[in-house]
Amino acid sequence: MDAIRDLKKYTCDVLVVGGGMAGCFAAIKARQKGADVILIDKGYVGKSGQSPYAGSFMVFNPQWGHDLGAWMEQINRISEYVNNREWTQLTLIQSYERYLDLVSWGVRFHANDKGEPVRFPAPSGVTEQLRFEENKHGDYVQILRRQAIKVGVRIMDRIMLTELLKSKGRIVGGMAISVDEPILYVFQAAATILCVGACGIKPAAYPPIVQLTGDGEAMAYRSGAEILGKEFVDVHISRRDIPAGIPNMLGRKQTIPPGLEGLQGPRRGGHLFNAEGNPLPPRPEGASRYMFTYLETEFEVHAGRGPITTDAPDGLKEMTGGACLGMSLRKADGLWPADLEGRSTLPGLFAAGDALGTMQNGSAYALTGSAIASSAVTGTLAGEAAAWEATQMVERDIPLAEIERAQLYVLEPIKRKGGFSPQWVTQLLQNTLMPYFVSYIKRADRLEAILSLVMYFQEQLVPKIFARDLHELRLAHETKNMVLSAEMRLRSALYRTESRGNHFREDYPHRNDPEWLAWVKIRLTDGRMELCKVGIPAAWYPDLNKPYSERYPYRFPGE
Amino acid sequence: MAVESINSQRCNGCGICVQSCPADVLRMDGERKKVVIRYPDECVVCCWCIAECPTDAIVLTPTRYNRIFTSWG
Repeated sequence: MDAIRDLKKYTCDVLVVGGGMAGCFAAIKARQKGADVILIDKGYVGKSGQSPYAGSFMVFNPQWGHDLGAWMEQINRISEYVNNREWTQLTLIQSYERYLDLVSWGVRFHANDKGEPVRFPAPSGVTEQLRFEENKHGDYVQILRRQAIKVGVRIMDRIMLTELLKSKGRIVGGMAISVDEPILYVFQAAATILCVGACGIKPAAYPPIVQLTGDGEAMAYRSGAEILGKEFVDVHISRRDIPAGIPNMLGRKQTIPPGLEGLQGPRRGGHLFNAEGNPLPPRPEGASRYMFTYLETEFEVHAGRGPITTDAPDGLKEMTGGACLGMSLRKADGLWPADLEGRSTLPGLFAAGDALGTMQNGSAYALTGSAIASSAVTGTLAGEAAAWEATQMVERDIPLAEIERAQLYVLEPIKRKGGFSPQWVTQLLQNTLMPYFVSYIKRADRLEAILSLVMYFQEQLVPKIFARDLHELRLAHETKNMVLSAEMRLRSALYRTESRGNHFREDYPHRNDPEWLAWVKIRLTDGRMELCKVGIPAAWYPDLNKPYSERYPYRFPGE
Repeated sequence: MAVESINSQRCNGCGICVQSCPADVLRMDGERKKVVIRYPDECVVCCWCIAECPTDAIVLTPTRYNRIFTSWG
């Protein structure tokens, strides 16, 4: 076991946590506004998280004939009216400037002979996206890393922020561990921006989210920030024969090593079939065309018509669900935004990218390529606002008692001599949440049963997790955070007594507009998780005079 | 079991794979200046390591290692 004795203290104006699209933009933009910026990542800035896997970047540009009203109308409808229209519109409007930033830093997009970017229509029909030119996944994020270094951002890799530090009700930095050295890091910052990505529970099928364990959300929640969007699930499916095969980085290699050819195979063909050999029913006009919207495969399996197959180029292949288990629909969950500049409800704490709950896509993914564009937009907004805030902050001292408190929390698993391994608790959590009838097809009795188990993990296992080395100390904190996120997810799912987009309740199969044109907000109150409903502005309601079937073209089973 | 072995004759100790691994599976053996597989259970077959290795020193199999589920652990 590594005994952690050293404590290193760093001071900066803006601490950015997480080095994907949002984190790099936040760091670069804050630095360009004159702030002294430190950017840390528990992996490696430019290679971690989902950003390296992004293929397309949504760009809205009126000069290309794009109509803001038409885009918004479509997004509002597909997202089933619970998108945050202010964030949706902001993402659209600022996406072109962020595209120009990327181009100026050296990122290249698919272009025609004249050098103009090629615009690819999104499956939804109205919107368009650009594609990164690099045929090697992830090159563009490394361009962002180089740009951050160029403008003077201090980058520290393999450092995991584990607990936020507070002084007089304000976040004044955080405490971090290194996976390499027995050193505890204290970052003293006027503003902290969480860009730590989404929250999965390390599902087998989707390697990019192995690191994304809801660390930011958990830290922020413990410190008093508010969270939303946990009931809307991500619905990616994958091939059963190569669950770990998608997506991967093999595209970076000129020749595929022998034995790994299968990993390169396309994940699915054009159609999905049930066990009776019938294709899954086509979606009605007006519903999302994006393939990973709605729970159609789960519905078939639940009706006893599984397994599901796909006509992949190498034959009929079986598909399985839960590829992104634990993750919400992109940009749904995260910190509750207190404004349109990335501030959370906690002074001194900002969030951007997937860590910020912009709800720009509401309850169903409407806008292909918008996840990564939004990370650039929110990263910029948060970076610039945090830099401004740093100029206003004179007092930044962290009380010694606060450092001691955090130190006890951060080191607790490695000080314990025995208990449960983080890997085993993670496995328990995965096995508990993975069945489709728990996390995807939800019903009150099952949710309550699973919640009681998760609370048992929370109360009886999590306090006894122990770490034998620094690697396991990272895993211990990741596991704690994933269990907390599971509780949020289950409680939000129980609380939302309707179905909408990617949230399906078997016992409430209809959208309930009178009750649920609203978001579910979570916060810690007197040591307990408290949920409340926050209505969307009435101006964003759908036309309630229209028949239900027109408002919502997509039908849930049981409707 | 995912990352299976590293050919120490080929490994030049550049450490690019250690940076690339999102799951902290690989570590540098400081004395030998070679990369070692330290935490194979965590490998998710993302293929970053083999994609980046300049000397093709890493052997990976397509099957992800799956821990046996035990009563406690």
